[in-house]
This record gives sequence, structure tokens and C-alpha cells, in this order.
Amino acid sequence: MKGKYKIIIAILVVVTGISYLVFAGVKDTFVYYLTIDELITKVPEVYNDKVRVSGTVVTGSIDNNIDRSLKFKITDGDAVVDVEYQGIVPDIFADDVEAVVEGTLNEQNIFKADLLLAKCPTKYEGEDQLKNPNGYQYKKEKG
Amino acid sequence: MSEIGSISILLSFFISIYSLVFSIIGVKKRNRSFVKSAENGLIAIFLLLLFAGGSLIYELITLNFSIKYVALNTSTDLPLIYRISSLWAGQAGSLLLWSIILSGFTAVVVIQNRNKDRDFQPYVNATLAVISLFFLFLITYVENPFEKLDFIPNEGRGLNPILQNGYMAIHPLTLYIGYVGISIPFAFGMAALISGKLDDNWIRNSRKWALFAWTFLSVGLLLGARWAYLELGWGGYWAWDPVENAAFMPWLAGTAFLHSIMIQERKGMFKKWNIILLIITFFLTIFGTFLTRSGIVSSVHSFAQSDIGPLFLGFIAFILLFSFSIFTYRLKEFESKEKFDSLLSRESAFVFNNLLFLAAAFTVFLGTIFPILSEAITGNKILVGPPYFNKVNVPIGLVLILLMGVGPLISWRKASPNNLKKNFLIPAIFGIATGILLLILGIREFVAVATFSICAFVTSTIFIEFFRGVKVRSKRGENYLVAFSNLVSKNRRRYGGYIIHLGVVLIVIGITSSSVFLTQREVVLSKGDSFDLGRYTLVFEGVKTFSNDAKDGTVATLALFDGNKNLGNMTPEKNIYKYEGNREINQETEVALRSTIRDDLYLILSNSTDDGRASIRALLNPMVSWIWGGGIFILLGALVAMWPGVKFARFHSFIPEISGTRRKTS
Repeated sequence: MKGKYKIIIAILVVVTGISYLVFAGVKDTFVYYLTIDELITKVPEVYNDKVRVSGTVVTGSIDNNIDRSLKFKITDGDAVVDVEYQGIVPDIFADDVEAVVEGTLNEQNIFKADLLLAKCPTKYEGEDQLKNPNGYQYKKEKG
Repeated sequence: MSEIGSISILLSFFISIYSLVFSIIGVKKRNRSFVKSAENGLIAIFLLLLFAGGSLIYELITLNFSIKYVALNTSTDLPLIYRISSLWAGQAGSLLLWSIILSGFTAVVVIQNRNKDRDFQPYVNATLAVISLFFLFLITYVENPFEKLDFIPNEGRGLNPILQNGYMAIHPLTLYIGYVGISIPFAFGMAALISGKLDDNWIRNSRKWALFAWTFLSVGLLLGARWAYLELGWGGYWAWDPVENAAFMPWLAGTAFLHSIMIQERKGMFKKWNIILLIITFFLTIFGTFLTRSGIVSSVHSFAQSDIGPLFLGFIAFILLFSFSIFTYRLKEFESKEKFDSLLSRESAFVFNNLLFLAAAFTVFLGTIFPILSEAITGNKILVGPPYFNKVNVPIGLVLILLMGVGPLISWRKASPNNLKKNFLIPAIFGIATGILLLILGIREFVAVATFSICAFVTSTIFIEFFRGVKVRSKRGENYLVAFSNLVSKNRRRYGGYIIHLGVVLIVIGITSSSVFLTQREVVLSKGDSFDLGRYTLVFEGVKTFSNDAKDGTVATLALFDGNKNLGNMTPEKNIYKYEGNREINQETEVALRSTIRDDLYLILSNSTDDGRASIRALLNPMVSWIWGGGIFILLGALVAMWPGVKFARFHSFIPEISGTRRKTS
């Protein structure tokens, strides 16, 4: 019986430790996931808070400089947010895709992102795209 | 051909209902011919689904665009091999493949157990028929891979270019085999609960399946990691993305299960616990599929999504409710034979192994669904990213690795000081010495020093085990090689397990080195510029553009030097696929990689200008190849453990007699 109590105590210690890890892990690393609308209504208290925002990349807004600073705008169809980012750009990132950025909005209302993810815009395997009588066209040479 | 496929899956659907009903009636009424007929039905499903799979592959190869699935997943420019692998590129095909694998495994189970346990096996068959039924329902009525379009497109949508990669062609297949493989031990567990035969037979007859499934899950995870590393071009192999977590969670729970069934076999303990673990593992495989397919958690991986989410939720609810209610019903019938004696014992090492694996699975689960939970509770969508997963799982992982050294050697019941000294003194010295050596060498990263020390400890326990075994045998006159091979072949499970543990150590070393000691640089280069990274020097020789039928490519050439030694050219590319078909992605970063046992030089071409400048991100990832090497060890160890040995064959030949006598007495 003595052994059993010891094990129960040891299990309690381990479980407490893990619970603490979860608590501390969540507390130190969580970020709010906001829509663009929520981001804008939270100005100015949102300044310098780490948040994650997603929106559609405004067509033609991507300015990808050789020194790796990437500027673009995201929108929810209504409001527009300017984003600046340095780092790895996912292959899927392009005009009109849904971009997810994590970082902070500064007082000039520019979103300084340190993480950029992109999601494909097509949610469903649509057959509409197949209805084009010529099927798919070869893409025009990109300039 | 597609008609054959359609009819095959429709027939399979009805036969699985038939097999379910007749298995149950047969076992209840003790009608052998009913049971037999149900078994034949299950074998027939496999043959029918092979036809269905074959006909879909035929349609994919011949590009019959009148079929929606073909039009959505292939295109005329797709090479043969990827036309075939398109079978699992989309939703409907994946579900069909899932059903084929399940029916194949079911057929093997039926044939292996044809004359065994007539009052048990029908329940296994019935459980498998239920699982089949669900997937066959999906492909027959919801996501039919043979669905026709009412028009014929001239061209299909094509396969996503990032999926056109050898690893991507086999990684999903491997994972599916692992996922589906879990169904088999689950079916045995359910049969034990339903029939009330709660002894260890169900574990004995299904544990190889559990190990088999686990091996495929492990290899599948590693192949996925390798694919991400080579193809996604961000320099890493694991990002705690929900899709990765979806595959990782059943692996964690399954690993706990594989360990804890050993203690039931040896000591008759943990009987209830094993059933619970198995239910959790199976739940996590279905939940993982639900997670990736329903789009409920946003992931960077682009999966085809559809409305099957609610159906999956319904199926998950059914599984959990059914299995836990029948478990509760049988709760009083479990007999546990032994009790714990001491904290310092192998039994308690297993307890903590299980506790920690399950805790890891739970914390990953929590982190993955955190956005949903927080939105439901607080109204705010809050997420936790990779830092959360690392913070929580690194300490858990470290303790688990330590246990990996302790568990196999500590005595059962109660470890005496003598036992501890005999088994752990030398490894502990090795471990501590490694730590001190690393500190002397100037390494100050605590996590790395701790991890390497523990790894040294575990490795030496394993080597000492092999060494002792060989020494004992060689004293009896066997030469070392013979002694070694006899040692392993006489106790395959044990030594196979050690080999797997060694593989895990290699993987842990690789992960630790590559995440703690990573160096990277971002540089903008003009022709002739050079830069250093670690021991390497890279000289930029310019960018070229090229064009072929499929893509417009930009390729940067960098000459690589180690000191003065020229090691050839590295050529990272950035390609734009001309074909617009698969709109999800038309750009592809092709990294340049030089992999050695010491480190990986990983070059990404981020951008380039018309005047010939290029921006390059260069990473030096230490010891990444150890991760893949560890995977080979895991595969090897699993093969050793599963290989049918002499003992196993003899064990098998006894089965009919044993079950025969049991039937008479009952």
C-alpha cells in the first residue's frame, strides 16, 4: 500500500507540473485572432499588442522589394490595413489570397508582421471553374 | 470503367450492412454458416473495392474528364506517376483509398482467424463492418469519386505543384495505412467488450497490428516532415500546424498503448486502462481526419474541404458513446491481478510513460482546438502557436526520453539498490560526462545540454544491454556475430524495441541540434558577391531564367566552398507554373540542399531583380539528417519486432487446440 500512495503522489506532482506548463504556455504565447473590423475598432488600445489578423490581399498592392521588405494591403472587403513584413514568403502568397499575419499595429497604423501565412481562396472543390468551355488557359507570362 | 467502380462501391456498401447483421445474428444464434457468410462478404468487399480503386486509377490515367474527380485532380500535362497518386490527392479518392485499405486489412484479419475463437471473432468482424459502413456511406452517397459532370471539360484542374513530389506521393498512403491500421486493434478491443471475453487474448491477437499501424504512422509522420522540409521552402520540417498535430496525436496515444499492453501481458495489470487508451487512439485517428477535412481549424495546408464535417462529428459521437457505455457496462468484470509495490519499479515507469504520452497528446489536442474553445467560452478567438507547443512538449519529451532509458532495465515490482547500481551506474556516468563535456566545449544552451546528456544515458543503457547479451552467449562458445544475431532473433520484441528506441534517440538529437543551433543569414547579392555561413563560403555567380512547357523558372547559381575546397554549385530556384489550372498555387520555391551527417546547407531564392541581383536566405541546419536516419532505425526495429519468428509460428499452431478445448468447457 505504501508504494501505491507514493505513486499517487508522484502522479499528482507530474499532473500539476504539466498543468502548470499548459497554463504558462498559454499565458506567455497566446495571441488574439482578430478580423480587420475588430482590429480597427480596437484602435488605439490595440497598438503594440501582438495580434493575428487575416484578410484578403488587395490585388496589385504587393510590393516585394529585393531587400526582402514586403509591403501589401489586406482587406475584409471594407477596411484596408497596410502590412509590412520581412521573412519567408509562402509560395501560395499572391494577389487575392487570404493572408494571415501576426505582429503589431503601430501608431502609424501600419501592421508590422513577423509571421505571414497564406491560405488558398477556394474552400470547396468547385466545379464552376471547370465550366469554362476552353478548360484552363495557360497563364500569361508574368512580367 | 467508372460504372464498374460505382457499382462496386454501392455493392460494398450493402454487403457491409449484410456482414454486420449476419456476424451478429450468427454469433448470437451460434450459427456458423451465418458467420462464415458474413466473413465471405467482408472478403468480397475487399475484392469489389479493389475493382473500384482500379477503375478510378484507370480513369485517372486515361484522363476521363467527364468524371468530376478526374477533372478536379488531373490535367493533360501530369506525368503518369502523379496521375496514379491523384487517387489520394482529393477528398473522394482519399476516402476510397481509406476504404480499400480498411477492407484489405479486414480480409487479412478474417483469413488469419477463420477457425479461431468463433464466439469472439464475429464481433471483430462486426466492428470492422461498422467502420467500413461509415466510409462506404460517404463515398457512395456524399463524396462519390465516380460522380459524373453534366459536361466534359477540355482540361482538368491539375494537381497542385507542391504535391508533385515523390514524398508527397507516398506520405499520405503511409499515414492512411497507419490510421486505418488502428481500426484493427480497436475492433479486437470492442469485440472483447461486447463478448465479455476480457482476458488478454484480444491483445495477443491484435498487438502486431498495433505495432504495424504505429510503424506506418511514425514513418508517415517523418515522410511528411521530410516533404515539408524539401518542398515548402521555409527551412523547417515541423510547424505544429493543425494538420500535423492531427497525425501526431494518434501517434502519441498509440505509443502509450503499445507500451501499456506489454504490462498487461506480463503482469495482468492495466486492463481497463488499455481499453480506454485504445478508444482514445481510435478516436484521435477519426478526429484527425475530421480536423483536416472539415476546415474547422484553419491550417496553412490546403486541403479539399467539404460538408462531411458534421457526418464525421456524428460518427465520432457514436464511437465514443458506444464504446464508453459498453465499457462502463463491463467495468465490474475486469480483474486486475497485481498491485503496485514500489515507486522504483518497471510498473511505475510504465505508468509514467503512459501518463506523459497521454498528457502530450492532450496538450497538443488543447492547443489545436484552442481557437474553437476560446471562441466558444469567451467570444474571442485566441490561438496558441508553436511557442506554446514547444514550451509544453519539450519538458514532457525530455522526461519521456529519460524513462526510455530507465523503463526497460529497472526491475519489476521493486528495484533494489543493487539492481539500480548494476543497470544505471555506468549509463549515468556516461550521461553526466556528456553534459560536463558539452559545458566545457562552451555550449550554454540548457535544453541542448540536458537533452544530449539524457540521450547519452539512454544510448549507453541500450548498448550495455546488447553488450551483456552478446557476452553471455559468446561465453557459451558462439562468436560475436552469431551471438548477436541469436540474441536478437530469440527475443525479437525486446531487441526490436531497443532498436526503435535508438532511432528515437537519433531523431531527438537531430531535432534538438537543428532547432537550437540553427544559423541563418539573409543576403542580397550582386554577381561576384560572396558570404560565409559556418564553415562554408558561397560565391554568387548570377541568376538565369529558363522556360519550359510547364514553368518559367529563375535559378540562382552559387559556388560552394569549404575553405579552399570547391564543392560544386548550389542552385536554388523560384518557379512560376504556367498552367493556371490549380489556382491554389502557381509559384514554387525549389530549395537547394547539401545534406551531410554534420549539417544541412539549405538555400532559398527569395527574390531576384532584372538587373541580376538576388536575395538569398541561407540556413545551416545542424544534424537534420539524423532525423531521417532515426526513421530508418525505427523501421528496422519494427521489422525485427514484427518478423514472424519460430516462436510465433509454434504459438500459432497451438491456437486451434487451445480454443477448441475452451469451447468444450464453456
